[in-house]
Amino acid sequence: MDIPADYIPTYNERIESLRRKKVQFTERKIKTRGYFDNDDHGCIPWDEPIPFKLKPNHPSGGCYGIRCIGENFRHWLEVHPVYINPMSSLAGAWVCAVPGIGGWKPEDRPYHLYPLHKKYNIVYSGIGAMNHLGPDMRIGLELGWGGLLNKIRKYRELNRPIDTSFYDGEEDVVLGVQAWILRHVIKAREMAREEKNAFLKSNLLSIADMNEWLIDNPPRTLREACQFLAWFQSIDRMYHTGGALGQLDELLRPYYERDIKNGLETDESVIWHTASLFFNDTHYSQLGGPAPDGHDLTSPISFLILEAAHRLKIPCNLAIRVHDGLNPELLRRAITYLFEDGTGPSFSCSKGLDEGFVKNGIPIGLARMRAKVGCNWTALPGIEYCLQDVTRLCLVSPFLHAFHEIAEDPSEEKTMENLWEHYKRHLSTCVDIIKQGFDWHMQHQSENAPEIVYNLFCHGPIERGLDVAAGGVDLINLTCDGVGLATVADSFAATEQRVVKEGRLTWEELKHLLDTNFEGAEVQRLMLRDIPRYGSGGSRADWWAKEISSLYTRLMNEKPTPMGFNVIPGLFSHGVINRLGRDLGATPNGRFAHAPIAHSADPDPGFSKDWGAAPTAKSNAVAYVQPGYGNSAPLQIDLDRELIQDAGGIEAVEALIKGHNALGGTLVNINIVSKEQILEAHKDPDKYPDLVVRVTGYSGYFRSLSPEYRQQVVDRILSRN
Amino acid sequence: MSSQGIVFNIQRFSIHDGPGIRTTVFLKGCNNRCVWCHNPESHEKKPELQYFPERCIGCGQCFSICANSVHAMVNGARVLKRDLCTNCGKCAEACYSGALEMAGRFMSADQVMEEVIKDKVYYDNSNGGVTFSGGEPLLQKDFLKELLFASKSQSIHTAVQTAGNYEWSILESLLHLIDFIMYDLKIYDYDKHVKYTGVGNTRILQNLKLLSETDKVFAVRTPVIADINDSPEEISKIAETIKGFPGLLYYELIPYHNLGASKYRHLGKEYIYNFSAPANEKLRLLANAASIHVKNVRC
Ligand code: SF4
Ligand code: SF4
Repeated sequence: MDIPADYIPTYNERIESLRRKKVQFTERKIKTRGYFDNDDHGCIPWDEPIPFKLKPNHPSGGCYGIRCIGENFRHWLEVHPVYINPMSSLAGAWVCAVPGIGGWKPEDRPYHLYPLHKKYNIVYSGIGAMNHLGPDMRIGLELGWGGLLNKIRKYRELNRPIDTSFYDGEEDVVLGVQAWILRHVIKAREMAREEKNAFLKSNLLSIADMNEWLIDNPPRTLREACQFLAWFQSIDRMYHTGGALGQLDELLRPYYERDIKNGLETDESVIWHTASLFFNDTHYSQLGGPAPDGHDLTSPISFLILEAAHRLKIPCNLAIRVHDGLNPELLRRAITYLFEDGTGPSFSCSKGLDEGFVKNGIPIGLARMRAKVGCNWTALPGIEYCLQDVTRLCLVSPFLHAFHEIAEDPSEEKTMENLWEHYKRHLSTCVDIIKQGFDWHMQHQSENAPEIVYNLFCHGPIERGLDVAAGGVDLINLTCDGVGLATVADSFAATEQRVVKEGRLTWEELKHLLDTNFEGAEVQRLMLRDIPRYGSGGSRADWWAKEISSLYTRLMNEKPTPMGFNVIPGLFSHGVINRLGRDLGATPNGRFAHAPIAHSADPDPGFSKDWGAAPTAKSNAVAYVQPGYGNSAPLQIDLDRELIQDAGGIEAVEALIKGHNALGGTLVNINIVSKEQILEAHKDPDKYPDLVVRVTGYSGYFRSLSPEYRQQVVDRILSRN
Repeated sequence: MSSQGIVFNIQRFSIHDGPGIRTTVFLKGCNNRCVWCHNPESHEKKPELQYFPERCIGCGQCFSICANSVHAMVNGARVLKRDLCTNCGKCAEACYSGALEMAGRFMSADQVMEEVIKDKVYYDNSNGGVTFSGGEPLLQKDFLKELLFASKSQSIHTAVQTAGNYEWSILESLLHLIDFIMYDLKIYDYDKHVKYTGVGNTRILQNLKLLSETDKVFAVRTPVIADINDSPEEISKIAETIKGFPGLLYYELIPYHNLGASKYRHLGKEYIYNFSAPANEKLRLLANAASIHVKNVRC
């Protein structure tokens, strides 16, 4: 560090130094790894070779099953680089995933489902997908790594399994983490010896002492708790980029209260520790929200965590949990920072989520504990295997099958009722395929790719000797997200209006337009687009959207998978609309072949050229089509800074969020951007290396997104009213 | 059976037209002609054809649909013979690219309320409501009355933006249905007022005085246009006029912007004047001048 020997950087200078380092890292990562269409994940660039050689256990050269994974994971941690930033109060960062680990044995793969996946554009079937459940980090904070090791050994003794793989694998991971931490202790002492600046030297020594303690013991202070969480974040990311943390304010509150009482920390130092945790990685976590008895969980540390994210100004994955009893100051503060930073926390809406989750037979007190710990999703910490956000059902593909069947077969009745019947049949088939896939996943997941990290932080796996996906936890709710609602709703409405009601086109003519991708027929294409579209409110397209969402929900929900697993539907695209659109033909809403389909439950950009296209219109539309069983269908709002920044803007955004919650919405993501800035940044991303935007459920550096993803953000912003 | 009126825009999530989140309903027709007006589509109390040439894809639909041959080619150039146009709207209906659009449409009060009610939950969360603006909304007094009545019966906060140029009895008869009034006072000097707005301001000032004698809460607003009314003297005179009005919530100076210029072209009208927006320092100076007389000045 190039600072005078006796200079003590202020807390803000330390945080600013971390921010600058993050921007530099991002630049280097783009150069060496290319664009990344997801959040930052906290990994650091690393150019030197890492001496790791995978020890496979399968003729294919792969590594499958918990023992082999544990062994390799441990070995990886033994050689994984050591990173300490002296301006941070914490040590550690991850470089890349454990090389060679992942996927399933070739013989376990669902070859029989692949043709069906291809037919229905099921690109993300969820089979073999990892993590996307919520840990209960209190387990780790109470035990520490040493305690976790003892717990594994205790239950190995108690259960005496014939096959010890599960405990072998879990033990190896913990031993690997301990070895990795120890190398940081050594490194911190080495760095301290070299360091000239007195503050940095003492910080490095504190890091060394703290981590020496943490190798075997549970954290005693807030800083130690943050450090424990940082180690968790790093290994969680190394193993299939897990990203869920928890109700962060509540996790840290006991330490905070104790440290403040003992004079060990000040609010400013706590902000630094929290910012250091975010510098390590911004796993998804929630602030505020209802406790099981309904009281609000906001406490002074909720504000400090928010403040840390605000000062650090890097992509951040905090959510404020909105409910009737939420501390109004926390909500106001979050929105104020959103105005200042352009992006910030998302707003998870309790009414729709909790009341919806109850419909799965969950008591309300438990439902309230389901925290927002993922991009668009929530999970019960440590007790629910929910496989969120990895399975997508393309709602458009069944429509195209239905439409072409009718238009091509002269014996088919050319009516909307018949089109709907065919759509129902194809959608139902898609749902069955997804459910069959879930069963296949549940039968083979644990023996191939067990949740070796999350098992440690759930209630049951260690106690039972079972992976979370194999009965380690009591609750299993599998999840599927529908994508492209607006494309289908507008296609139904356009067909209904232009073909059936007005007779401007025949079914055959419309089919010809789709087959020829509207070649030479721009007027007809515009005619099909120029209808009251989904989002305008009270239109036929809105009606169709509700019908489709209800049908999709019912099909997902009315019966479990053949093996009996409960399935909860949501509507969410995570930005995969380009990929899903790529293999699809043109659609009657005027969408060209291979063009992206619509996001999540959002109306298409520019959904109303008329007077409907306001954020409130969008909010109403999305609230109206919620599946309503506790999983989300997020609302994405992009507001023009110039229009909103005057007096009343903050209050208006607050009312928009509260209104969406009251209507039963589940999640609000907001960007506040200037149109000029986003256009300039799109043209020349290098000009804005630190511009952070909310992509969908997650935030990312605009600069780091691929041109396709940047275009999605720009389209949304340009089309707003 | 609800009555009909002519509306040229309904703007939801409006945050600059009164407290909270509002839906602003713009009624078409105005009896002033302010030279700086950036809503020329508000002037006439009838639908008008707008043409956005950059959106035209040259499909020719409008040529074949219009019975009056308004759309024509003259020497290879596209022209609109507007004097032949009856504003029937048929070509706009057939123009899917949005190059032709009608400004203004006849709507029943029920239809307007159907839009207004959609955002009730946001009004309730922000102490917002509905704002009726124009044009001059009071020129459609029966329609406005029905809208105000319908809003009040749904417990929606009501606001009206008005320029005050009509018989006092018109406003008076609606006061019980209005929660908040935003009253425009543009220029103090009578001759200047005639010159730049096309009408005198005697009645406007009288009505404001009468309004101040009621128990209504209101704001007074002045659009500030460089070289027309952006002198401290002018603003001081207006501020002095409204000084001490008990119902005055605030006085607002609204800086002119010239976003309306292209709208004139789309209507086939000429935008003769080219005003500039007042500088921020100037606005602050004017606000200081006003605050000598009135307490709450916004700009
Ligand atoms: S109908 Fe519209 S797009 Fe077609 S030529 Fe006329 S103005 Fe142009
Ligand atoms: S509005 Fe009617 S009269 Fe005027 S140009 Fe269009 S079709 Fe012709």
